[in-house]
Amino acid sequence: MTRQEAEILLSTSFKIDSFYDEQWETIEKLLNKERVLLIEKTGFGKSLCFQFPAIIFEGTTVVFSPLIALMRDQVKKLNSLGISAKCINSEQTQEENAQIINEAKKGEIKILYIAPERQENTEWIEATRLINLSMLVIDEAHCISVWGHDFRPSFRRIINLVNLLPNDLPILATTATATNKVELDIARQMRGNLTVIRGSLLRNNLRLFVVKVNSEDEKLIWLGKNIEKIGGSGLLYTGTRVDTEIYCRWFTHLNIKSIGYNAGLDSESRISIENGLINNDWKCVVSTNALGMGIDKPDIRFIIHTQIPQSPIHYYQEIGRAGRDGKAAYIILFYNPEDRKLPEAFIEGGRPPVSKYEKVIDLLKTEMLGLRDITRKMNCKQTPIEIIIADLLDQKIILKNSKNKYELKTNAPQLDSEIFEELRNIKHNDLDKMIEYVETDQSRMKFLCDYLGDNSITEFNNCDNTGLKKIIVETSSEWQERLQAFRENYFPKLDVEAVKTNLINGIAASYYGFPNVGDAIHRSKYGNAGDYPDFLLKLTLQAFRKKFGQEVFDIILYVPSTKSGDLVKNFAIKISQVLKFPISHDLIKIKQTQEQRILENKYLKTDNVKNAFLFKVPDEIKGKSILLIDDIIDSGATIKEIGKHLTNLGAAKIAPLIIAKTVKGDVL
Amino acid sequence: MNKDASYWIAIAHLPRWGYLKINSLIVNFYHENKLSPEEFFQLNKQDWRTIYNLDDNQINDLVQAKADLPNNAFLAESLYNDGYELISITSPDYSKTLKSNLKTSHSPSLLYVKGNNKILNKQSIAIVGSRNASERSLEFTDNISKLASLDKKVVVSGFAKGVDKQALDSAIKYSGQSIIVLPQGISTFSVGFKAYYKQIVNGDVLVLSTFPAKATWKSELAIARNPIIYGLSEEIYIAESGEKGGTWSGAIDGLKRNRRIFVRNPEADEKVANKLLIKKGAIPVDFNGNQIELNRKVNSIESNNQTQEQLKLPL
Repeated sequence: MTRQEAEILLSTSFKIDSFYDEQWETIEKLLNKERVLLIEKTGFGKSLCFQFPAIIFEGTTVVFSPLIALMRDQVKKLNSLGISAKCINSEQTQEENAQIINEAKKGEIKILYIAPERQENTEWIEATRLINLSMLVIDEAHCISVWGHDFRPSFRRIINLVNLLPNDLPILATTATATNKVELDIARQMRGNLTVIRGSLLRNNLRLFVVKVNSEDEKLIWLGKNIEKIGGSGLLYTGTRVDTEIYCRWFTHLNIKSIGYNAGLDSESRISIENGLINNDWKCVVSTNALGMGIDKPDIRFIIHTQIPQSPIHYYQEIGRAGRDGKAAYIILFYNPEDRKLPEAFIEGGRPPVSKYEKVIDLLKTEMLGLRDITRKMNCKQTPIEIIIADLLDQKIILKNSKNKYELKTNAPQLDSEIFEELRNIKHNDLDKMIEYVETDQSRMKFLCDYLGDNSITEFNNCDNTGLKKIIVETSSEWQERLQAFRENYFPKLDVEAVKTNLINGIAASYYGFPNVGDAIHRSKYGNAGDYPDFLLKLTLQAFRKKFGQEVFDIILYVPSTKSGDLVKNFAIKISQVLKFPISHDLIKIKQTQEQRILENKYLKTDNVKNAFLFKVPDEIKGKSILLIDDIIDSGATIKEIGKHLTNLGAAKIAPLIIAKTVKGDVL
Repeated sequence: MNKDASYWIAIAHLPRWGYLKINSLIVNFYHENKLSPEEFFQLNKQDWRTIYNLDDNQINDLVQAKADLPNNAFLAESLYNDGYELISITSPDYSKTLKSNLKTSHSPSLLYVKGNNKILNKQSIAIVGSRNASERSLEFTDNISKLASLDKKVVVSGFAKGVDKQALDSAIKYSGQSIIVLPQGISTFSVGFKAYYKQIVNGDVLVLSTFPAKATWKSELAIARNPIIYGLSEEIYIAESGEKGGTWSGAIDGLKRNRRIFVRNPEADEKVANKLLIKKGAIPVDFNGNQIELNRKVNSIESNNQTQEQLKLPL
C-alpha cells in the first residue's frame, strides 16, 4: 500500500487527511510485519499508528494499556468512526468482560484493549487460544523498564509474550517518555528486528514557572489569590492523599470549585471526576499523580505541582497532559526546600531490609501462598510486601501462578540486593536532577528535553528563565487570617461506610500529626497527664456540629480501651453531658486484643479485633441511632468491627466521632 | 525460557503425524539443514514440498500450525509464567536415557516439565505395578525405592494409585529424587503441584508430561504414558502385574524393545501375573532387587520365543 492509497483510506475511515512523516514511517513498517518502538510526545498521534494498520489487517489487534481512562476514550472514538473496538478492564463486570472475550474469539473485534494485569484472568487465557491475533501494541512501553520512572511488574509478562510471538507478527511499542537508557533497555528486552523512531519532545506552548516558597502557607495563599486568574481549568498535583483533601477544602473555603482525586477512590467516582474534568465542571481537580495519564482532554490550561516530583521524567510526563490543543498552558512548580524530604523518604523507605526478603523466601519454601497469606505471616505493612514480591518476581526467584499464589522457583537464583542499591542511587540522582530543574537559570524546556535524550537544537523562550516574568509570592495579614480561620474549621472525614453495616461516615477533630493535638493525646495516653484536655473536647464538639449539625442521637457508646484505662470513657461522658445524649457503658471487650498500633497491616488489625466486642443489652439499641466515640482512628478496623456487631444487633445508624485520625494509611 | 517454544508446540502436536514423522522432520531441518524452527516455518509451501518431501495434507497441517503460532505464544507465556518449562528433543536438557531407549520412532518431541530438570539426566529406575497392589508388592516397592534413593538414583513413576504412588512417596521418605510422569497435560495437575510443592521447590521432584498442556486425563493417555516411564529409566522394576492392564502391556512393550525388566519373584500363594512375565523374559528379583540367577537362564531362553510370538500379536 502506498502512502497515497493509505491516506485515501485514512480520510474515509478516520476523517483525517494525511499522516505525519513519522506516523507513516511507523505504519509502513507495521504493514511490513516489523517491530517498532515509537517515542513521541503526548498529542503527537501515536494511537493512529496502530489503529490504522489494525483496520487493514485481518484479525484482532491487541493493545496492552495500563490506562483505563485512555482505553475508554479511544474505544468511544473508534466506535463513533464505525470501527469495532472494545476494552477489557477491572472497571467492567466479569460478565461484560466475558462477553467481550467471546466477541473477540468470534473475530468480531478489530481492536481489543486490555489492561496488563488482566493477563492473569483465566477467561482471557482461554480466549488467547482462539483469538486471531494480527498485531500487538504495548502502550506506555516505558513501564517495561525498571530503569524507567514507572516500572510495572505486569509488563514483565508482555515482554515474555513478545519474545515468544513469531517474528513476523507486527508489534508496536509506544511511549512519550523514555530516556536513552530506557530506550536501550526496552530494545534489549524486545529483541528481534526492532526499529526505534524518536520524535522531538519539545512542547513550546507550555509556559514553565518555578515558584520558590518557604512554607506550605505560602503555597496555599498564592493559589488562593491567583488560581482563578488563570484561564480555563486544570490540575493541581499534591504529594499525598491528605494534601489533596486539604487543598481541596481550602479552595472550597474560598468558594473556588475543585474536587479531590486519588487512586483510592472507587471506579464510579473516578469516572465521574474524569468526565467532570473534561466538561470543565471545576476550576481544578486536586489529585495525587494517580490522575491524568492518558486522559484525553485537549484543553487542560494549567498544571500546578505543590510538591516536587521524583524526577524530571515524572515531571515531563505529568505536565505533558496540559495544552494538548497546542494553545498556551501554564505549568507551575512550587518548591520549598523542605519538600525534598517526601520523595527522599519514598526513596529511602522504598525497599525493606534484606532480612524481610529472606523471610518471604523461607515462607515460600514449604507452601505456595497468596498475597494475603504472606501479609498475615509477615506482620508488616502491605506496601513493603508488595515491593518484596515485585523484586523477587523480577529476579526470577518466585513466580505468581495462574491461581494468584506465589511459588518459589526450583533452582532459584540468590537474591541480588546490590541492584537495589543501584536503583536507589539512580533515584537519588533523578531527584537531584529535579532540584537542578528548580535551580537552573537556563531554559527549563531545554533542560527537560536534554534529560529525555532529545538533543535537538531549538530556540526556547517559554519559561521564567527565558523571558516570562517570574512568579513571586507575597503574603498579607488578611490572607494569613483567612488561612487561620480555615485551619480551625478543618476536620478530617472518616470514610468507614461499608455494605452490610449501618455504619456511616463520621468525622475526626483533627489529624494525629497536627502537633498540638498529637502531643496532647500522647501525654494523656502514655505520659500519665490525666484526662484529655478540654481543647480536644471543644475541637471534637466543633467537628460534630460541622458534620452532624443539630442532629440528635439516641445513645452514645465508646470504644472500650486496650491500654488507656478510662480516658475514652471519661471523654465520652463529657461529650454526652454537653450534647445531652444518654451514654451507655455496655459495650465491652470480650477478647484480649493487642494494641492495634503495633500491628502493621490491615489484615492483622482486622483479625485482632474480630469478635472482640459485645454489647450487653441488645434491646437498648434496636432501631436506634448511635454516636460511637474513640480517641484515635488508624485503619478503622475497630470501628468497622463494632459497626458490624451493632448492626447485627439491630442498630439503625452508627456514626463515629473520633479525636484524631492518623495519616499513616493516607500517604499515597 | 525457550524463545522457540511456540514453534515446538506447533511441531510436537501436528495432528496424527506420530513421533516418527515429526522427529524425522526435526532431524531433517534442524540437524541436517541447520534451520531453527523459526526459519523452517518461514519457508514457503514449495520448499516444504521439494526439500522436505511433504505431501499436501502435511503442508496443510503446517500452514494451520503456522497460523496457530500466536496462540501458542500466549499459551507458552502462561505456562512459563506458572513455572513450567518446555524441553524440545533438540535441547541438551532433554533426557538422554529417553532418547536412547525410545529412539526417533517413539521419543516425544516435546517435554513439559516443572521442577528440577537436572534430574532428567541422572541415573534412574522405574517402579511400576498395579493400582490395587498387595501389601507385599508395596513393601517391595518401598524397599526398591529406598535402595535406589540411597544409591542416588532417580525413581520414575506414573502417579497412579498403588505401586506408583508408593514408589514416589518412598523416594521422598528416603530423601531420594523422583520423576512423576503424568497421564494428562501438565497444566491440569494443580492438586499434585500443591501436594508435592515442597519437594518440587527443593529440587527432589520433577513432574513431566508429553501431552498438550491442557489435555485432561484419558485412559488412552495413561496407556501412552507407560512407554515414557519405561523410556526414562535405565532399570525397570515391576512389583506386581495382572494379566492385562497398563503394567502388563507396558512390560510386554518393554520386552519387545529388548529392555531388561526386573520382576518381583512372587510367593507361591500369590495370584499375580509376575510369573508369566518372567516366563516371557522378565528377570526375577528378590525383595532387595537382586536377580534370582538360577531360574533366569531357563526362563530367558524360553521367553525369547514367547516374546517373538507376542510380537506377532496385533498389540
